[in-house]
Amino acid sequence: MPGPYDIFVLVKQVPDQGSKAGLNPDGTIDRARAKRMLNPFDRYALQAALHTKRTYGGRVTCISMGPPPAVEVLLEALEHGVDRGVLLSDRRLAASDTLATAYALHKTILWCGHYDLIFCGLQTTDGDTAQVGPQIAERLNLPQVTYCEDFSLDVENDRLKARRIIEGGCQHVISQLPALITVANSYHPLEYKSFRGAWKVAYLQRHADELSKVITTVDLDIIGAESDRCGLKGSPTIVAHTDKVGELGGSCKVSEGQAPEIMVSDVLKASNVKEFLAVS
Amino acid sequence: MTEQINLENNETLPIHETPRGNVLVIAEHIMGELQPVTLELLGAGRLLTDKLGTKLTCAIVGYKLGDMPEKLIQYGADLVYVADHPELEVYRTLPYRRVVCDLLESLPEQPHVCLLGSTTTGRDLAPRIAAHFETGLTADCTELDIGPYEHKAKMDPSKIGLYPDCLYAIRPSFGESLKARILGPWKNPQMATTRPGVMIPLKMDMSRTGEIKEIAVNLKPEDFRLQVAQVVREIASALKLTDADVIISGGYGLGTADGFKLLKELADCFDNAAVGASRKVVDLGWIPYDNQVGQTGKTVRPKLYIACGISGAIQHRVGMSKSGTIIAINKDPDAPIFKFAHFGIVGDVQQVVPEMIRQLKKEKLGSKPGVEAVVHSH
Repeated sequence: MPGPYDIFVLVKQVPDQGSKAGLNPDGTIDRARAKRMLNPFDRYALQAALHTKRTYGGRVTCISMGPPPAVEVLLEALEHGVDRGVLLSDRRLAASDTLATAYALHKTILWCGHYDLIFCGLQTTDGDTAQVGPQIAERLNLPQVTYCEDFSLDVENDRLKARRIIEGGCQHVISQLPALITVANSYHPLEYKSFRGAWKVAYLQRHADELSKVITTVDLDIIGAESDRCGLKGSPTIVAHTDKVGELGGSCKVSEGQAPEIMVSDVLKASNVKEFLAVS
Repeated sequence: MTEQINLENNETLPIHETPRGNVLVIAEHIMGELQPVTLELLGAGRLLTDKLGTKLTCAIVGYKLGDMPEKLIQYGADLVYVADHPELEVYRTLPYRRVVCDLLESLPEQPHVCLLGSTTTGRDLAPRIAAHFETGLTADCTELDIGPYEHKAKMDPSKIGLYPDCLYAIRPSFGESLKARILGPWKNPQMATTRPGVMIPLKMDMSRTGEIKEIAVNLKPEDFRLQVAQVVREIASALKLTDADVIISGGYGLGTADGFKLLKELADCFDNAAVGASRKVVDLGWIPYDNQVGQTGKTVRPKLYIACGISGAIQHRVGMSKSGTIIAINKDPDAPIFKFAHFGIVGDVQQVVPEMIRQLKKEKLGSKPGVEAVVHSH
C-alpha cells in the first residue's frame, strides 16, 4: 500500500496589485515599495496539497523561489498547515525567465527528495504565463494535469483521478503517480488558517533555532544547480522593450452632473448604439 | 567612466545572420472542427512568413482528421504535417508532446518561429516543448512581428550582437500598464502562444495549394501514464461571449448579483448580445466564470461594449479594449475606464441603465410604429 504521500506545493510571492502602496501615479509598480502577497492562484494549490494530506495522509513541503522576504509566504503556508518550507534564494537567479525558473525549481525539488504529487497554482498575477508548472513537469519527466478543478487519489492503485477544464467542457483523466498538477481557480478556496498553525508560527518566529528546522533556505550551490542555466544567463528570452499602453479610443466624451435621462439621451444620440437594436 | 563610453562608441556589433527558418503553427481542433485560434495563428503566421521570405508550415495531430489538413492550406499554410493515429484521438499532453518534439527533431532545420494558441491545450503543450528544446516561450501575446534587435548587455558576452530577424512577441505586462516586447533570438524555434480572438485570420481561399506530409508516430510506453477516461462537452445554450456583436458587462459597481438581471434586460434590447463581467464579481460568485472578460477571462472585441460599474483596471482593459464602441457607466468620475472608453456617463448604474433601457425601447417602438403590442407580449 502506498502512502503516506510526499506532497510538494510551489508558491510565489508577488506584488499586491490591489493595494495602492507602491503604485506610481502612472500605474506602474514600484516593486521595492509595493506590498507583497502570496500569489492568489497559489492559494488553490495550497488547499489542494493540504486536502491531500488531511484525506490520505502525508507530509506537505512548500517550496518558493525569491529574494529573502519571500520567506513570508512560507510562513503563511506554515500557518495553514504545511509541514516544512524551502526557500531558494540566490542573487544569481535575478531576471530568470520561465525556463530558467523551472530549471532552478526542479533542482530544488530534486534536492528536497522523494515526491508523489507536486501542486502548482495555475499562473502568477505578476507573470501570467502558466508556463513554469508544465516546464518543471518536462524537466522531471512527469505526467501533468493542468487546469485541474477537482481530484481524488485511488490509493489502492497509486493513481490520481482528476477533472480538468478544457475549452467548452472538461476532461476526466487518470494518471499514474508521481504527477504534477496545476490547480484552477474553480477548485475549493483556501480554508482559514488554524489557530494551532498561527500559534506555531508565532512561536517559531520567536525561536530562530526552531524556525531553521522547519524552513530551510538554500542557494544554487546547495541544490547543485548550474548558475549559467539560471538568471539572465540561463534565460532564452529577455524583455527588450516596453511601451506605455497608449490612451485608447481617443478622448472619451463624458456626460456628468445632469439628469440620467439627459445623459443617456446625449450618449445614444452621439454614439452608434442604435445600429445594434434588435429588430423584433 | 570615459573609457566605458569610448568603448560603446567604437564598438561594432557582430551580426548574427541566423538562418531564416519556416514558421510552424501547431493546429488545434475539437470534434472535427479547427479551432478559431488556429486560423488566427495562420493569419498572423502568414505575415511573419512573408517578412522572413520562408514557408508557413502547420502541424496537425489527431485521429481521422478528414479534410482539416486541406482547410489549413486554404487558410494560409504552405506545408501541413499530419500525424493521424488512433492513440491521438483526444488531446493528451505526453503523446502530443512526443509527436511534436519528434517532428521538430526530424526537421533538417529548426523552424524560426513556433506558434500555439493560448488555450487550455496550447498552454499545456507549449511549455513542455519549449522546456524540451530549452528555447524561449512567450505566453499570451497580443501582437507578433519580425524585426531586428541589438543586444549590448555585457552580462553574457556570447549573446552580444545584432540579430536581424527576431520574433517580436508582444504582450501586455499586467498591472504595470505596459506592453512588453519579449525576444529570444539566440535559439530557434522562437516560441509564442497567442490569445484567442486577437489575431486576424485570412479569408478562406479554395484555390490555394500546398503540400501535405504524413509524419511518423512513435509513442513510448511512458507516454501512456495519463489516460483520458471521459470528455464532457457542455452545450452552451447562451451565446458565446466571443461571438457577440454587443456585450453588456457588469462590475462591482452593480452593487449586488441582482444587478445582472438589469444588464440582461439591456442586452435583450440588442441583436446578438451577451452579458460579460469583471473578475471581481466572478470571484464573488455573482455570475459564472464563462462570462468573465479580461486578463484571466476572455478577450472580446464586439462592435459595442457597454461597461456598467467597471472601473477599467488594466486586467479588464486588455480583454476588451479592441471593441468597436465602448460606453462606460460609472459613479466615479476618476475611474480609469473613462480614459479609454469612447463615451462615458458618470452616474449610478441602477439609475442610468433603467433609463437607457427605457429610451432604447422607446426608440424601437418609434422606428416601428404598430409593434407595441408584440413587444409587450414578450
